[in-house]
Amino acid sequence: MKCVIGGAQLRVFGRAIHAIARISDEFWFDPVEKGSVLPVFRCVNVLERNVEKCSISTSPSEHHITFQLLCRHGVVKTYNLTFQECDPLQAVFAKHMCPNILKVHSRLLADVMIHFPTSQEEITLSVTPMKVCFKSYTEEDTDFSRTMLTEIQLSPEEFDYFQVGVDSEVTFCLKELRGLLAFSEATSVPVSIHFDRCGKPIAFSIEDLLLEASFILATLCEAEKEAASPEPACCPQPWDSSRTGMDKSDQASMDGASNAATAAPKKPQQKGNTPSMDPAKPPSASAKQEVKNIPRGTERDVPGRAGAATAEAAGGEATEAPYAKFHSLFFGAVSYKEKEAIGDTFQSLVTASDTEEELGALQSSPVL
Amino acid sequence: MRFRAKIVDLACLSHFSRIINTIAKLAKTCILRLTVCKLYFIVSDKVANGGASLWCELSQGNFFDEFQMEGVAAEHNEIYLEFVPENLSRALKTAQSAKAVKIKLTNKHCPCLRVAVELPSLSSSSRIVTHDIPVGVIPRRMWNDFREPSVPDFDVSIYLPVLKTMKSVVERMKNLSNFIVIEANLSGEMNLKIETDLVSVTTHFKDLGNPPWASEDGCQSSAQCRDLESMAEACIDIKKLQQLLAGQQVNPTKALCNIVRKRIVHFILLHEEVSLQYFIPAIA
Repeated sequence: MKCVIGGAQLRVFGRAIHAIARISDEFWFDPVEKGSVLPVFRCVNVLERNVEKCSISTSPSEHHITFQLLCRHGVVKTYNLTFQECDPLQAVFAKHMCPNILKVHSRLLADVMIHFPTSQEEITLSVTPMKVCFKSYTEEDTDFSRTMLTEIQLSPEEFDYFQVGVDSEVTFCLKELRGLLAFSEATSVPVSIHFDRCGKPIAFSIEDLLLEASFILATLCEAEKEAASPEPACCPQPWDSSRTGMDKSDQASMDGASNAATAAPKKPQQKGNTPSMDPAKPPSASAKQEVKNIPRGTERDVPGRAGAATAEAAGGEATEAPYAKFHSLFFGAVSYKEKEAIGDTFQSLVTASDTEEELGALQSSPVL
Repeated sequence: MRFRAKIVDLACLSHFSRIINTIAKLAKTCILRLTVCKLYFIVSDKVANGGASLWCELSQGNFFDEFQMEGVAAEHNEIYLEFVPENLSRALKTAQSAKAVKIKLTNKHCPCLRVAVELPSLSSSSRIVTHDIPVGVIPRRMWNDFREPSVPDFDVSIYLPVLKTMKSVVERMKNLSNFIVIEANLSGEMNLKIETDLVSVTTHFKDLGNPPWASEDGCQSSAQCRDLESMAEACIDIKKLQQLLAGQQVNPTKALCNIVRKRIVHFILLHEEVSLQYFIPAIA
């Protein structure tokens, strides 16, 4: 794989990395990558000023992905990071089937979230056709005498698009959403929120000419009062856990399909994106790259609560993290050529994460 | 027991927020005493606060457009609440463009101060942000713990230097030492001193002026007998002093301190609508 990002888009890409970094230490970057990418893009403002181009390539023999920042004055910074190949995952989530859709400028969402403390983990979104309310999440055993609770009420008129098919109250993780909010503010595109009843995932997405990003967050199920079993009580939207049997030999086609490492695959630039493995394949900049957080247990031990997405996908992890929440971030670069081909039905690929993966050591050797 | 109040004026809101911010920097928990005319923020000199104590009072009429309270009983028409000032500070921080801020004492799951902020919005109806700040109601039998401290029998009383200057000096000293000595005399001279194994640093201020204190016999008797040049000093926790200075966002109309040598330093900061007294005990 080899691709090049131009200067202006580098800022967006860097911010995307920052947004992802808020969620996870690792991320899927087709081809799959491990190790910390954030230091490469640490200071986005400096990047903007100094870096003319960013070239990302993999070496077929070793498990290295190389970020090369070509800066002004002939300075070249090279970062070599190790990665491990693994099968990509994708959330099964049909946005268009959500009864509730809100569309709002990212500025408004940021103005809402600013009222919550940065330490606020979860937040509850409650909608009726008449009003929208974001509030601190509380549960039965919340110690009210020690907790400050915040609630914001908005009128439907504040939204660019407001559709509430079913009254619902969903609770999701605010901390990780803040990453998307920061990113979308930088790109200043409206944010679309698709959701359903509690227990079903909620998706925050932004879309413009050059890129599309989605955060799919699990929401808390209302626990059955009697149920004390660690099994997720009701998870109506299970992940499809079928393995696709993708193996290394298919990696090449994945590579080819996913040259959309760039956030700005303008057509003329695509000739630079020819996959190194399979030159015959036409560059396609429209594949969605999957980015997925390794499911982790929540702090709460309340039985019967689980994010919707944990159901089957937990699979091998049901024993280790039954209350894990899944958070996925998709970054896709959109090309007009393939746009029609992308339906709203996601191809479901492997979902179980590789628990035997070890965190690879970061090998970065910046060459100045 | 009832309390409801409303601020509509943005300048009043901003001023009130600044006061709360100052208090939040000085103590983790604080007592709010409400009377018909005044609000008091009190931190008593328990060990938890390192022995420092705070007394801040303001007239409600200078801040609130509406203010109604009913105390625990007719003859004790006051309310004492314990709360975390940082919570109130946070609630007011994002309210600076509000159309109105209402504060009300409620009891849903537990006693709370409900701060309702009405914010302008793009649509015809306002955005309402509500913060429920948990409070503890202090029973009447404990009210005596929170009486106004009396001005100590000081050795020297002196006006403070420009707070901004004093703050930057103290902040730098804080990097070198945990304790600072404040000494001053009746000739308007003050020194701030730190001393460690490696270094000692002294900053001298002069021409500060000494406030005249009137009392029954015309002057503080111990002060009159003093030699005007002789310094009275006290060694205090530098962090407490730094917190006090850091919390001052606006220059007070009057700022002075009273030193009881080796015992306590009593700071008085007066603004037009609010007075703040802070007592820092000397380290033995």
